[in-house]
This record gives sequence, C-alpha cells and structure tokens, in this order.
Amino acid sequence: MRRIIAFLKEYRNSMPGLMGLGIMVFFMVSAIFAPFVAPYDPHQMYKPLEHPNSDHLLGTNDIGQDILSELIYGSRISLFIAFFVSAVSCIIGTALGLLSGYYERMGFFLMRIVDGFLAIPRLPLIIVIVAFLRPSIWNLIFIFILFGWPFTARIIRSEVLSLRNRPYVDAARMLGARDFYILGWHILPNVVPLIIVQLIIEARHVILAESGLSFLGLGDPTAKSWGMILHYAFEYPTIFISEIWKWWMLPPGLCITFTILSLMFISYSLEELINPRLRGVTRV
Amino acid sequence: MNRITKIISYITLIILILTFNFFLPRVMPGDPLSFLTGSPTMDMPIVLDEEMRAELLAYYGLDKPLLQQFYDYMLGILHGDLGWSIYFGAPVSDILIGALKWTLLLVGTATAIYIVLGIVLGAISAWNRGSKRDVELLTFVLSISSFPSFFLGMLFIILLGVNLSFFPISGAQTPFAEYSTPFEAALDTFRHLLLPAMTLVIAHIGGIYLLMRNSMLNVLGEDYILTARAKGLSEWYIMHKHAMKNALLPIITMIALRVGFLINGTIFVETVFAYPGVGRLLYDAVTYRDYPLLQGAFLIITLVIITANFVADMTYAHLDPRVKHE
Repeated sequence: MRRIIAFLKEYRNSMPGLMGLGIMVFFMVSAIFAPFVAPYDPHQMYKPLEHPNSDHLLGTNDIGQDILSELIYGSRISLFIAFFVSAVSCIIGTALGLLSGYYERMGFFLMRIVDGFLAIPRLPLIIVIVAFLRPSIWNLIFIFILFGWPFTARIIRSEVLSLRNRPYVDAARMLGARDFYILGWHILPNVVPLIIVQLIIEARHVILAESGLSFLGLGDPTAKSWGMILHYAFEYPTIFISEIWKWWMLPPGLCITFTILSLMFISYSLEELINPRLRGVTRV
Repeated sequence: MNRITKIISYITLIILILTFNFFLPRVMPGDPLSFLTGSPTMDMPIVLDEEMRAELLAYYGLDKPLLQQFYDYMLGILHGDLGWSIYFGAPVSDILIGALKWTLLLVGTATAIYIVLGIVLGAISAWNRGSKRDVELLTFVLSISSFPSFFLGMLFIILLGVNLSFFPISGAQTPFAEYSTPFEAALDTFRHLLLPAMTLVIAHIGGIYLLMRNSMLNVLGEDYILTARAKGLSEWYIMHKHAMKNALLPIITMIALRVGFLINGTIFVETVFAYPGVGRLLYDAVTYRDYPLLQGAFLIITLVIITANFVADMTYAHLDPRVKHE
C-alpha cells in the first residue's frame, strides 16, 4: 500500500502522464454514462446530412443519425474492445510468461510458439482472417487476443528469468515453499509494474488496429465504433470537397487520435517511473 | 543464432504462411467454392445444381484429396499462379505485379525518410535530455504520431490537396498525361508520391524516435562516454562517433520491425490516397469480397515484410562482429 502511494506521488509529477490520464477519464466517463450523456439514440434517424445546429450539435450523417450520439456510443465500443482485449491477453500472457520463465523446458517450447507469432506480420494476417469470418465484435476480440498475448508472455518471461535466481527466491525455496507459492507471492508482485505498462501499450495497439480494420470496412456494422463512423464518412462521395468533413470526419478521427495520445502519454510516464535511466534531469 | 539457422527459420516461416493461406478458404465457415470463385453465398446467393457444382469443384480441384490439393497449390505458387481475380477479371499475379512497383516505391521512399529522421530526432532528444528542447520534441513527436495513418491522410487530402490544391489527391500519376520528357514524368510521379509518403512517415515516426532516444539515453550513461569527455573530445565528436553508433547497434532489428509496421501502414495510406499499390488492392478485395485477390495481396505484403526483416537480420550480423562469432 505504501508503495502504491509513493508510486502515485511520483506519477503526479509527470505532466504528460496527468494529461493522458485526464483525457482517458473524460472518454471513460462518456462511454460509461453514454445513455445519459448522448442527446439521441444513435440508431434513430432524422433528416439526413444536416449541418450542425442547436438540435444536432454535430449534424447528422447520410442516413440521418445524430453524429454526436454516434460518437458517444462509439466510445463504448472502441474502449470496450481495447481494454477487454488488452486485459485478457495480459492475463494469458502473464500466466504463460510466469510459467515459461520458471519452468525451463516448458519455456523453451512456448517461446518457439511466441517466436512464430511475433515473426508473422500481424496486421495483414488479422485483415484476411476477419475478411473470411463474418464481421462481428466477438470475432474481432477473439482474433486480437489470439495475436496479443505473445508480446506480454515474452516480456514477462524475460523478467522472470532474471528474478528466478535472486537470493530471496532461493531462500523461499529452501524454506520449502512450493513453486506456485513462489510464483504468486515472490515473483508476480515484482512484474506487476511491467504488466500495467503492457496493458496500456496493448490497449493502444488494439485501438489502432480496431479502428484501422473498421476503417477498411471490416468492423461490426451493428456496433459502430469510431473507426466505423470514419469508414462511412470516407465512403461518402463528396466528403473531401464539401464542408461536411468538419463535423462528420474530424470528430471521430480526433477521438481516436486523443485516445491513442493519452495511452501513449500514460505508458510513457509509467515506463519512465519504472526505468529511472530514461529519466531526464528535469521531469517531463 | 548463426546464419544457417536464421535462413532455415525464415524459410519455415514462409512455408507456414503459405500453408495458412492454403487452409484459410478451406477451414473457414462457409463454402470453400464460394471463396475461390469470389462470390460468397452469404452476399450473393447463387443456386447451383448438383451437376454444375461438381463441375466447378472439379475445375478448382476441390474434389481431389487434400494432400493432392496442397501439392497443386504449392506447385502453382512456385509457377506464380495465385488464382483468378473475379472483380478485375484477370490473373491475381498479373494484377499484383503491376501494383507491387508502386508499393515498393512508396515504402522505399518513406522508409528512407523515416529511418534518417527518426534516428536524428531521437539522438537530438536524448542528447538534450531533460532540457526544454527534449521535452518539446518529445511531446511534439508523440502527438503527431498519435494520428492514425488513415485519418492523417484524409486530413492532408483536405488541407493540402483540396484547399491548397498543390498536391494531387489520388493516384500515382496524372491519368492520360503525356510527358514530353522523362523528367516531367518523374516530377509528376514525385508529386503524387509526396503526400502518401509524408503521411506514412509522420504516422509512424514516434516508434523509431522513442527507440533511438531510449537506446541513446542508455548509451549516454555508459562509462566510455565519460571517458571520451574526460579525454577532452568535442561534444559533436562524442555524439557521432561514440554515442550514436553504439546506440544504433542494439536497435537495428527493432527498427526492421518498425519498417514492417510502415509496410502495414501502406494498406491504409494507399486506400486513402487511391494509390494503385498492393495495399489498395487489399482494400478493393475486402470491399468486393474478391477472396483470391485478397489472399494474393496478403501473401505479397507478408512476404515484403518478412524480406525486410530478413535483410535487417543479415545486416545486423554483418555490423556487429560479436554476433558472428557466437
């Protein structure tokens, strides 16, 4: 507990870290309270292609849906996919990373699998698989997790390898502690900071990949994420030569950008805390 | 790992991907026939009677045993046969070869700018660590590279292409243009290339910049930098001869990985700019559910990325003598 408070105190000094956290909290709140914040039901259709006015602050799209409400509900989809995927792949990655760092033989085989996953270019592969499957959120989530865990497993394993032979672990072993006790009580707490950083980084990758796939038209049409809104805007014939891009294309793009930026700032500040050598003379 | 093991592992990887490509239409839910003929039943229900179906199955060799199919597929790939694109009505390999030169031009240009710019910016930042310049550069680079490439590309089209109307906003050359000199043709190609290449570089610069900055910060903490300084060498000399060189070595393979991301990025950038490369084909294939073309484009993009990684691996062994002797 004392360590957590000290950690938070350190984090408070990091300007980008706080900015990132602020943006994230803003999006999270709007995602969680979407039904209360959004002025309309995002599926409800009104007059199409309306310019921003007092009824529709960001206008309406080509089939008359309120763009602001779409954005607010879209944050639910985008953030849910990002954090759900990164949480599950971090859990799987951590478990396998711990085991493969601790048990040498198992680690050898597991790391060959991880090598394979890391060597295969992930994005083109995900695109073809999703194109062959039916577009649905759960298909996307499954594929992202499938290709997400190896990164975490690799990072956790290399940390476990260096922790495994520390004197206090040896001491615990000599006192007769079982393997799982050592892993859970002596090794896991020491890799928690790494896991948190990895969680944020993975969430950023997923947001980027999900919005990219949706932009290509591979998203779930029944659950519109920010990337999907951008996809429909891009497909609209006169998007580049009329004014409508200002309220149809710009807002979802900026939402994605700011989410990525905030995650980038958060992970950067965390990493700086964990690896002091990266620190400058004055704090960023 | 020595050179032979590395080459073997790359060959294994390529075989793995070819195998995956073979099984993809055959194990996915849905009729493999519809994937190969490019008209999936879920979008366009085509009623086939038994006789016609059997005929089509025989035509695509789907009635043969799986092992025989696999053998035929591999043989076909070695002969450059990737199937028939329904949407374009042409052999997939012909379409891809036409597109590949544009993708390579785009990726090549972008990679050169990307690597030089990323390394220089990262080095400058690390060298001035903690100073105002470092903080500003860091914030700036992280901010601009948070833009997803497709969004950044759309912004460039609107702001620089449509509003300033200096840059062409689509294609790789002006359609139906007749050039009087080769120089004119090159200029036209270059003008079309500039925006997509810029988009690619800016959207990805953060990764290589941070990599270089962190590696350089680690190196600057080393004793030999202190020694160099104690010897009275000039700052400029230390930065170039001692710090940058040693900071680059450990990150070369990781830079290659980033170049892979850059190649991924062409899928989006080419889509946005209607640049006639392999990435744009992938998008067309997705849009029209042209599965043979989709698989062909996937194969080419993957092979380009793997080749880039392979070249980097080999270069690394060449640059760092310690790797050779291990």
